[in-house]
Amino acid sequence: MRSIDDFTRPVEYLSPLDRSLGEILRNWAEKEVIPNRREYDEDWEEHRLIEPAFGRLMAELGLQRVLFPEEVGGWGLGHSDYLGTGSYRMFEEIARADSAMAVAFGVVFWPLIMICNEPHVNMRLCEEFAPMFCETDKAVFCANAMTEPQGGADIENMDLLKGSTIETTAVLDGDQWVINGHKLWPTNSGGVADLFGVVCTTSPGSIDPEDFAFIFVPGDAEGVTQGKPYQKAGMAADKNSDIWFENVRVPSWYRACGPGDDFKYFKEVICLGSMGTVAFVSGAMMNVYEILKGFCEEKTYRGRPLKENDDVAGLLADFVRDLEVIRVIGYQFARMMDRPDLYGDRWSEEMVVKGRAFKYFAADKAVENLGLVMNLMGAHGSDRVRDVEKHWRDLKIAQLWMGGKQLCQMEVARWFFECETL
Amino acid sequence: MADYKALPHWLAVWIEIIGQFRLPSVFFAVCRVIESVRVDYEACSKPFMIVEGEMKYQEIFPVPREWVQDIDEFMAETVTRWAEQEVIAGRLEHAEDYDKLLVPAIRKLFIDIGLQSMLWPEELGGGGLGTPEAAMTVATVLEQVGFADTGIGFLYANSFALQHAFAVEPHRNGELLQELVPVFCGDEVAVGSLVLPGYGSGNPGEGGAFHGLAYQVAAESRNGGWALSGKAVRPQCSGKTAALFAVAFDAGDGEPAVVLLKSDDDGLSSGEPFKKTGLAASLNADLDLKEVEAPGALVILRGEERFREMLSVYYMCCAAICVGSLLATYEILKVWGDTRVIKGKGQEFKENPLVASLMGEAAGGIATSRVLTYNLARMLSRPDIYGPPGSQATYATATVIFKHVTRSAMLSMNNTMELMGSAGYATEWNLERYWRDVKCIENSVIPETAARVDLARHFFGCRTL
Ligand SMILES: Cc1cc2nc3c(=O)[nH]c(=O)nc-3n(C[C@H](O)[C@H](O)[C@H](O)COP(=O)(O)OP(=O)(O)OC[C@H]3O[C@@H](n4cnc5c(N)ncnc54)[C@H](O)[C@@H]3O)c2cc1C
Repeated sequence: MRSIDDFTRPVEYLSPLDRSLGEILRNWAEKEVIPNRREYDEDWEEHRLIEPAFGRLMAELGLQRVLFPEEVGGWGLGHSDYLGTGSYRMFEEIARADSAMAVAFGVVFWPLIMICNEPHVNMRLCEEFAPMFCETDKAVFCANAMTEPQGGADIENMDLLKGSTIETTAVLDGDQWVINGHKLWPTNSGGVADLFGVVCTTSPGSIDPEDFAFIFVPGDAEGVTQGKPYQKAGMAADKNSDIWFENVRVPSWYRACGPGDDFKYFKEVICLGSMGTVAFVSGAMMNVYEILKGFCEEKTYRGRPLKENDDVAGLLADFVRDLEVIRVIGYQFARMMDRPDLYGDRWSEEMVVKGRAFKYFAADKAVENLGLVMNLMGAHGSDRVRDVEKHWRDLKIAQLWMGGKQLCQMEVARWFFECETL
Repeated sequence: MADYKALPHWLAVWIEIIGQFRLPSVFFAVCRVIESVRVDYEACSKPFMIVEGEMKYQEIFPVPREWVQDIDEFMAETVTRWAEQEVIAGRLEHAEDYDKLLVPAIRKLFIDIGLQSMLWPEELGGGGLGTPEAAMTVATVLEQVGFADTGIGFLYANSFALQHAFAVEPHRNGELLQELVPVFCGDEVAVGSLVLPGYGSGNPGEGGAFHGLAYQVAAESRNGGWALSGKAVRPQCSGKTAALFAVAFDAGDGEPAVVLLKSDDDGLSSGEPFKKTGLAASLNADLDLKEVEAPGALVILRGEERFREMLSVYYMCCAAICVGSLLATYEILKVWGDTRVIKGKGQEFKENPLVASLMGEAAGGIATSRVLTYNLARMLSRPDIYGPPGSQATYATATVIFKHVTRSAMLSMNNTMELMGSAGYATEWNLERYWRDVKCIENSVIPETAARVDLARHFFGCRTL
């Protein structure tokens, strides 16, 4: 019988851990998430059902440690050749069950990329923060605080605006940074995050990359306030809220990489976000494939199983065609992250742009395909019991976050066509 | 045909009621977020009026004005005020709360304003609009209801299509009207829900097929009436709360018929409401029918043509709701486009050519959807010009327009959400609610493939499909 494992991946790219990690995560998803996920929408504020599943994944199975170097108790993914493909598999398996959980999990790594990845490992900060993640039996979360009320896309539009619209300020006062500002939307906010990576500026309005600063702030630092989670169309397992930083003081060495390098390596963070988005899409679409296959065998049309009708089969074929393509592209980009020796630096403009192109292609295809699948399912398409509508609601955000589709389009056009005024 | 120029007595009662509807506009919620925007609230209360100085959707998006009669306009205005006072203002506090917001709003609309009995003859306590022209009236009204709440619109679309089959000339059924007076002209809200053919489950007891889709119930002729059975039967809406179900069944040799079942009929039970993407006003639940007996007098229609007519009316109603939701989307996007800044300080959002092109596409979708829906309403309201509403041709047009409007509504809403970034995804901005609601209408009224094949059958003469 065909299954989700029949979708193509470039197998020679995969990490040696791929199979066992995949199995562990699939078991976890089947046991801890899939049976409960239909209740997640009502659990968006409390996370009573969601928290225990995270606890098992991150603390008990230990996956919150994977990025940290072995010397500080981690699994060393950040200096392996499998940062991309290894993470891709994890994100994909989790997203098959719930893409919001995959995001929340992915964002635990997201700011840590700045300090855990070769060649820019900041060992002092790894030592500082590793115990939070590696010496605990509780799930611990990070948040990557970029977006501000006046606009998230502009902050991610680094090539054009170079951080000049960032309003969160960092002022050096002796051996401390003093941070002031208001952020919106970070994944794992709303009271969840234990550690923030905060995008700030040391000189508001400046286009000098040296003024772009990425500074870590513990969630319990004085002056940090996380608001109540927002209610949204989907993604219940990811809490998002306002965060206010009011005269928050952290040691000066909490800056991730330093002047110039924060700006440079932050582009690697963007690339991981794009790759993660493709993985969330392919994981969720794989689950939709499983559901759709069952549905088309159970229901009849013109007296035959739904899938045995030519017109329906045409739509089914389109769906799996797109899923095949998305998955291959996703693993390809993951490989490009793994092998800078072959594909160039993970923080290069070229990688950012290619990641953006793959991200918005996958997100567009997801929204289009899941909408069509719901239409195909007729009166059952919007039924929570079938789970497809949940993936449809969840995946819509994949188009919107990280600056939205139009920012992706502009960056891609600018690079490939060498546009000069956009 | 009714003379709409002479307003009947019950309008005077309405005028008294609507005198109380004087609350802020549909912009209210959005303006709370973007405080800098000032809006002429009074102007928003008049759906078809040209307002000098400020362009509102009412004048921007075209309506074939000569088809809209005074009564239509009057009712749409009434419903606009209901929308503002009963739904939009309350939404700030109650979001989509069924008991606190939606139930009182439905009651006001169905009973106090009287939509529930609109088609009933005046002498039976109704609104006296039982002529085909009611199609245009309901289009204008449902647009306003859909603007406020897609789900409430959907309940009324079902109720209207059900009633239309026996309360509107030339199919007016005096006896049935008389019998159902306590249901529709009383003090209790009575939602009617359609039970249409869908995919089959392959069970042996399943009741025949209509153009490839299976009737959800098996019917047996008994004592001059019918006994209906079916498991996990899915109504279009309100399985838990509807007063009546209009159930399609095979009356022999594949001939479609529709019979009314009351929710308290022996043998009819409903499960718990199931969770779904949207349409919070509809507490939908599957039904179990164990030889539910219905007298022949409750068969409201028989034959393909009558069945197609009911579906055409239903599709038109659903399209009108979606147009209303699109107009709400427009207002949300307008505020966003006027006030947001991208690509650095001082760059007005809507002046960016890329986003402007998407805004333009959304506007185009809204404009064509509105015009098409009014055209369909016109076709249904004037059989003397366009032929019977149940003809193959009208049914095909109704299907085309319903599919076009829902598709372009989803496209416009998807694009709008894209343009609004996370705000579009947040409940606070209301857009995501319309997006979820319209999606439910798009997928649940008729399965996509069946609609396409219906069209091919008509336009290309397919014989075996
Ligand atoms: C579930 C979820 C998780 C999130 N996680 C995080 C997170 O972890 N960290 C974080 O910082 N933020 C996060 N966000 C916020 C998200 O990344 C931002 O909302 C997004 O970047 C867009 O920013 P914005 O909403 O401020 O929209 P805006 O910046 O106002 O952009 C709105 C729209 O304007 C258009 N636009 C913008 N720039 C251009 C341009 N140059 N050219 C043409 N059109 C343009 C696009 O259509 C864009 O979608 C999350 C949001 C959600 C819903």
